[in-house]
Amino acid sequence: MAVLCVSLCICLPWIGSIAVWRCGNAHSKLQHSVASVFAVATGVMSLLLLLNPAETPVVRIPMGDFFGELTLVPDGLGIILAIIASVVGSLAVVFSIDYMHGDPQLGRYYALILFFIGAMSGLGLSGSMLLMFFFWEITAFCSYALISFHNDDPKAVSGGVKALIVTQFGGIGLLIGALIIRSYTGSYQIGDFLETAPALESGLLSAIGFGFLLAAMAKSAQFPLHTWLPDAMEAPTPVTALIHAATMVNAGVYLLARFFPAFEAVAGWKTSVMLVGLLSALLAALMATRSDDIKRALAYSTISQLGYMIYAVGIGGIFASMFHLLSHAVFKALLFLGAGAVIQATGTRDMRRMGNLSKKMPFVHATFMIGCFALAGLPLANGFFSKELILEFGLQRGPQWVFLCMLAGAGLTAWYTLRIYTMTFRGQSGEIHVVNPAPPAMKTSLAILAAGVLTTWLFAAGFSALLADSLPYHNVHVTTNISLIHEIIRAPLTYVALLVIVAGGACWQFRDRVVKKFRIPARVTQFVESGYGIDIPYTAVVRITQRASRLLRDAHSGQLNLNVAGISAALCILLTLLLAGV
Amino acid sequence: MELSSLNILFIGAAALLGIGMYGMLVSHNLIKIVVAIQILVKSALLAMISAGLARDEIQLSQSLALTVIVADTIVAVIGIALAVQVRRRIGTLDVRELSKLKG
Repeated sequence: MAVLCVSLCICLPWIGSIAVWRCGNAHSKLQHSVASVFAVATGVMSLLLLLNPAETPVVRIPMGDFFGELTLVPDGLGIILAIIASVVGSLAVVFSIDYMHGDPQLGRYYALILFFIGAMSGLGLSGSMLLMFFFWEITAFCSYALISFHNDDPKAVSGGVKALIVTQFGGIGLLIGALIIRSYTGSYQIGDFLETAPALESGLLSAIGFGFLLAAMAKSAQFPLHTWLPDAMEAPTPVTALIHAATMVNAGVYLLARFFPAFEAVAGWKTSVMLVGLLSALLAALMATRSDDIKRALAYSTISQLGYMIYAVGIGGIFASMFHLLSHAVFKALLFLGAGAVIQATGTRDMRRMGNLSKKMPFVHATFMIGCFALAGLPLANGFFSKELILEFGLQRGPQWVFLCMLAGAGLTAWYTLRIYTMTFRGQSGEIHVVNPAPPAMKTSLAILAAGVLTTWLFAAGFSALLADSLPYHNVHVTTNISLIHEIIRAPLTYVALLVIVAGGACWQFRDRVVKKFRIPARVTQFVESGYGIDIPYTAVVRITQRASRLLRDAHSGQLNLNVAGISAALCILLTLLLAGV
Repeated sequence: MELSSLNILFIGAAALLGIGMYGMLVSHNLIKIVVAIQILVKSALLAMISAGLARDEIQLSQSLALTVIVADTIVAVIGIALAVQVRRRIGTLDVRELSKLKG
């Protein structure tokens, strides 16, 4: 049973991806239904995984001496990632029925999304580092191909290439780490590594630890490797909601949480993780307050929230981090899908041209507002509980100044959330007309996600028990819903945090006065808007590559004789090297 | 240096290699290039046979050489057939005029 569930979680979407591809773009209705059926079936299959979690591999595929055994382990961390990938994935697919309606290349679109869902479930469930790397790279490829889905748009193509280049850094870090671990412990199994890690040499362990941190930073778009995520917003919006908000960007946090017991003792590792999270949370939140593109603003907020999760891992709060990951996946998917509905209805992503949409799109407005509640961390939404949990953990375990910064970050979050909300749904009517306020398939996805935002925090108890039961090396603290609520209501921190959140919102509301009082120099705002100049090295790399290729173009003359000359020259060099005995 | 028969064979192979390379470098005619390739392959054959002789495994190298001769014939035939087609369709055998790459 367990074997079937685990394998179907990965194989089902992949079979679906081939099926959609084979349908042909002439039968778009068939493609919509095949994709939805396979996606929803995967979602159900991943929920069935909850019935029998295990801490040892249930699927073992022996691959010989070098590759070791490829294993799939449905433990708590893996199951939660698979569930997020397939459930949010199926909702994104359902949403796409309306959003991608009439697109001429649906086959490619659905095939890639289903391929991604399978790979993401696999990434969570794999127990062997080599298999994990394999799935990790597939998700990067799908992300690239879907960002560049509109391949006649140069911005989309360059965004896709950028995402691919940056996340490849991460992939290389992961592969090198896996190979080092294999050469020292003789096994690719994550469980074996976590068991033997304390016995390994500390220098070696810190090399692997920081390599994995780099991998996580690239994948989770953490400062300073975050620049690919805002550019990835050229992807169709359901893809953004699925890959660049709910699932793939979580892989970095997942990696850190998964290997936390091994690197916990490494000197400076926890501090570095914490600081990476802190920097990303604050700087990205600042950028979100300056962005006028609704998707880019949400993308910066994703980076900032991922920063919170990484910070939580850095202070050892694995459960708080994973709980926020779950909450964030649900509410950010809701916000992005809501933004997608708005973008489809208005035909623009510029929030300055929107406004007063609450009357024209009441349903989307209501669901979006629930999402905003969760993002800002207001009570009853899942984001409130998970963020309070992280902050409280930070107060107890982490350094105080970092905690205070994160608290200020919560205020910033409220600021930009209110800004996005008012610019889109309140105020003066924009110049654009609403064409089509949310067709039924969109409404279904939005309604389910909104219900999820209001209810997923109820799973806190079951979730913590699941993690504690199936992760032998992590020290997860088990909680019950009542004690969680009790803890949060009784903690004075909750009220302080709420005060900060209200203050952040008020700052936006009375922004004219605030701006007058604290004159922010134009240079500072420009610096923030330009993304702190992080893009400069990246563009330099791209420019150098392009220049070099232009210079080398003369070598491609197509002259046969010239090519032969090149071949003989290379032969001569090789011969001299051989004779010199190098 | 004593000129044994083996050494003479190796020097011959190197000379053939040089001639073939030189032919490929300087000739512009497709047919001539095919001929130059043939010379190159012959040098490889000679080197192989001599190596077999030197290590006293002449049977192995002879059978390998036979295989290479068969493959080499096919290469020559296809090369010449391509040249004929190029001449018919484009009207020239000069490789300098066959280059289509712009840059």
